[in-house]
Amino acid sequence: MTDTLPTRPTGGGAPPADGAVIAIAGVRKHYREGDARREVLRGAEMTMPRGAVGALVGRSGAGKSTLLNLISGIDQPDGGTVAVDGVEIGGLSERDRTLFRRRHVGFVFQFYNLVPTLTVAENVRFLLDLERAPDAADRARQLLDEVGLADRAGAFPDRLSGGEQQRVAIARALAHDPALVLADEPTGDLDAKTGVRILDLLERMTRERGRSLLMVTHDESTLTRADVVFRLADGVVTTEGRR
Amino acid sequence: MGTLARSSRRYLLRHPWLTALSVLGVALGVAVSVAVDLANTSALRAFEVSGQAVTGRATHQVVGGPGGVDGRLVARLAVEAGAGEIAPVVEGNARTARQPGRVVSVLGVDPFAEASFRPFVGGPGSGLDAGTFLTVPGAVLLSEQTAAELGLAVGDTLGLRVDGRPETARVVGLLQPDDDRSASALQNLLVADVSTAQEWFGMQGPGSRVQGLPSDRVATGPSDAGRPDSSPTARPAPDATSAEPRTTDHGPSAGRLTRIDLILPVGDSAAVACVRAVLPAGTEVRPASSQAEALATMTAAFRLNLTALSLLALVVGVFLIYNTVTFAVVQRRRVLGTYRALGVTRREVFGVVLAEALVVGLVGTAFGIALGVLMGTGLVRLVTQTIGDLYFVVRVRELALSPAALLKGVALGLGATLVGALRPGWEAASTPPATALRRSTAEDRLGEGAGRLALAGLAAGAAGVGVLAVPAGVAGAYVGMLGILAGTALATPWLTRAWARLAGPVMGRLMGPVGRMAARGIATSLSRTAVAVAALTVAVAATVGVATMVSSFRTTVEDWLGSVLQSDVYVQPPSTVFRRGGAVLDPALAADLEALAGVERADAIRVRTLDMGSGPFDLVVSRLDRTRAAVNRYKAGSAQDVAARAASGAVAVSEPFAFRFDVAVGDTLTLPTDRGDRPFPVAGVYYDYGNDLGVVLMDERPFLQSYADPGYSGTALTAAPGVEPADLVARARVLAQGRQQVIVRSNRDLREASLEIFDQTFVVTGVLRLLAVAVAFVGVLSALMALQLERRRELAMLRAQGMTPREVQKMVMAQTGLMGLWAGLLAVPLGLALAAVLVFVVNVRSFGWTLAFTVSPAVLLQAVGLAVAAALIAGLYPAWRMSTTPPALAMREE
Repeated sequence: MTDTLPTRPTGGGAPPADGAVIAIAGVRKHYREGDARREVLRGAEMTMPRGAVGALVGRSGAGKSTLLNLISGIDQPDGGTVAVDGVEIGGLSERDRTLFRRRHVGFVFQFYNLVPTLTVAENVRFLLDLERAPDAADRARQLLDEVGLADRAGAFPDRLSGGEQQRVAIARALAHDPALVLADEPTGDLDAKTGVRILDLLERMTRERGRSLLMVTHDESTLTRADVVFRLADGVVTTEGRR
Repeated sequence: MGTLARSSRRYLLRHPWLTALSVLGVALGVAVSVAVDLANTSALRAFEVSGQAVTGRATHQVVGGPGGVDGRLVARLAVEAGAGEIAPVVEGNARTARQPGRVVSVLGVDPFAEASFRPFVGGPGSGLDAGTFLTVPGAVLLSEQTAAELGLAVGDTLGLRVDGRPETARVVGLLQPDDDRSASALQNLLVADVSTAQEWFGMQGPGSRVQGLPSDRVATGPSDAGRPDSSPTARPAPDATSAEPRTTDHGPSAGRLTRIDLILPVGDSAAVACVRAVLPAGTEVRPASSQAEALATMTAAFRLNLTALSLLALVVGVFLIYNTVTFAVVQRRRVLGTYRALGVTRREVFGVVLAEALVVGLVGTAFGIALGVLMGTGLVRLVTQTIGDLYFVVRVRELALSPAALLKGVALGLGATLVGALRPGWEAASTPPATALRRSTAEDRLGEGAGRLALAGLAAGAAGVGVLAVPAGVAGAYVGMLGILAGTALATPWLTRAWARLAGPVMGRLMGPVGRMAARGIATSLSRTAVAVAALTVAVAATVGVATMVSSFRTTVEDWLGSVLQSDVYVQPPSTVFRRGGAVLDPALAADLEALAGVERADAIRVRTLDMGSGPFDLVVSRLDRTRAAVNRYKAGSAQDVAARAASGAVAVSEPFAFRFDVAVGDTLTLPTDRGDRPFPVAGVYYDYGNDLGVVLMDERPFLQSYADPGYSGTALTAAPGVEPADLVARARVLAQGRQQVIVRSNRDLREASLEIFDQTFVVTGVLRLLAVAVAFVGVLSALMALQLERRRELAMLRAQGMTPREVQKMVMAQTGLMGLWAGLLAVPLGLALAAVLVFVVNVRSFGWTLAFTVSPAVLLQAVGLAVAAALIAGLYPAWRMSTTPPALAMREE
């Protein structure tokens, strides 16, 4: 059964919804392609509760990555508001958005994006080191143990398989205990079996910590894991309940 | 070490070739600049050290006109001015017979006056045996080091050539300097009694040879109570040919002195005034330091030009650093994008890029300074030799390690690194994370920005031309030149892309798809190919510019020599400074040469060095009749005017003189003479490329009314009709045999010798040009290595699909060849523009010379060939690497 949740009323000044880790209201975004103007988001609305696992789906080119960039503060909307973990990030400076991302958002990319010149352990503790966290080493060790790569802590990423690299990326995304983990097609570069294992791991670790996870995916089978599904089409987000 | 720093360090270590090449680029740039700086400072320090040795503790010097100071003034200064510490000095240069190229300075002193001035001669520890020093004919003291170099011991004799005349010095003692600095100062210095030096340099009494001046033979010593023998003693004029031991009198001789050293209380203007009150016309007292300052001023333009050339290598080095840092940014765009996406701030990314560049810069600078010191050792010889050929004798030829020069090297190395890294660092930091995660970002940005950069380049070039139009000195000219260089460099990406698009179809027709891909590869990797092309363009343009300037200069000089060398045979005594004469021809020999059979006309000249307070210049004196005046070509005035007014004291001045002293026809020049300052109207300004310090041409009649006759410096003989110049040369040589060593040259020989010296003075320039090309070569190699790394996956795919290693090599070589050809073609107009600036602005502002602009097609062809060859050689290794990389390995994601 598809449970279509009511969307919040549009309006640029909408306050962040209480208890929502993501609250997007009236977001518009366009890109220029040569002389043409392409509207990617046309007043998108979206609310995701804290502690939930969400899935963002849509056809290729629908604007999923754009929405993810807006939620992470990488990009800014042309209009509307984006609040994450209760903070209206559209009002922040570029530097503050970056620092917000560093402290409150975790990323898992399709192509892992590990830093090739850092060891596995160093990749995991990367953000903790930037924040000069005193327990960085212990937390990295613990997370690597959790993802089953404790014995590869000293290896460089190019010695790891794709699945292993993505496990390191999951550990890195959770190392600084973010409120929200954003995963951009995290299994897109993996075989089906490994993909399932990675999703299991990602979902389990996020839920165990009571954190929120928003996954961008093409894979309909992934939707069964989600508490809430956001479908993006024609620049508008529709929200569905758990499948 | 932070995580970001650790990551950077590993990145640099994982790409040792690229890191090493950027280190080498910085190192070469810094090395060239440090070497030139050290050579320049060493040359200046050589004057300073030499000057200190001969100046000693003197606070002031009494100097006269070109003929020096009357020796009798010593007594007057002691008695009438009450000056306590007085030392007469005669100075000159000679060549050693055993090492004919070696020039030594002779310092003639009164040993009893020396203790206060130059303790190494008369001080308590000097071990000077005054008796021996004064009684042995030709007695000299020299340092242990110089004695060892000349293979001399106490008691040995040393043959000298003074103005070509043979003299014999006898080593009576060795000077033992207290420290290294004093040891340097005493290099190639012979200390003799003042009378000996007077004999050698033709300054012996009686008194003065100025016409009309009293010439009695009174010579009195200073009434210094502290002297062991202070009684004024008459001293006979030394007999140059006498081998008899001289009498033990040591009073300052009659005759002429180069100067009189004084120690006056510091800041006591009354004491200076007392001295000034007793000085005759044509003599003045000045601070002892002013001579060194004048020498520094004299060579300032020469040194500035060398410095500017050395900075060129550094400018090319900046391109290299820019290239490397850009590559590091482009290659890691995904990593940097990840950093940004994860929460690394722009400032932190910028810091990472800059810190990496600084590490490369620091290591490169350290190597560069070490290499610069090594190169400087070689360069200081070239620089001092050039200065020795053009300006004055440089006794000290050691490299002086100046902390300021080394610090400047550090600042330049790190500064150049920062300049090179700023833009890529800013690009890395300002790229939004979302964009940074995409491939081809840097190429897109450079591709999009190429047009804007070209416009900025146009503006920079226009600004450069604007600066050139402002009379802002030589430094302003170089700033303008830098604007033109920067403008071209900024326009290079746009031009290179256009070139690649044009070349694509042609290459396709010539080499098929491999050729097309080679051309397209230049456009698609513009962020590296354009920088490599720009670096090579700048370096090759510099060679075109300097070579065109030198060939313009040479053509002008050849033309000028053809015009001024009208006589058939030239006779002159060998001089210690080629361009500046000054040696005296035996008067009897001069008279005999004039009367030599087969001589139709003899033009003897006298040369004196004058100083109006801002550095020396030459006064050249001859019979300035219409024939002689017409030898010169006039920029202002005419030969007729000059000849007509010469007898009444009008002079002609050379173009550099007019520029240096801001003099024009119609002005009156106040020249120092042996009878005080006198006015001389200027009747003409003539072209002269033989002396950048300036020449005043005067007729001998007014000259002899104002100056002591220095004797002839040389004579030019015109053969009578039917007499072969070669016969006249032979006759002149026979005539001079056994009388004085003279150089007898035919017109053609003198012209060749002059051009040889001209070429020699540009050797340093040539070396610096080549070094700039070497840095550019490293730049191209570095860019190609970067391309090779970046395109590994693309090439692996091509290899996997069936492209043979040979085809890969062909493609890489075609690409580098195209880049080299384009750099060469761009370098031609840029080089000609630089040459125009050098010829019409820098030369004029440095020396006042008007040169004819001569473009040699050979130079232009060589430049294009050089660019293509450098690019092809730089492409060899990357081509081999690219073709041998296993496809499977290259296909792996880093």
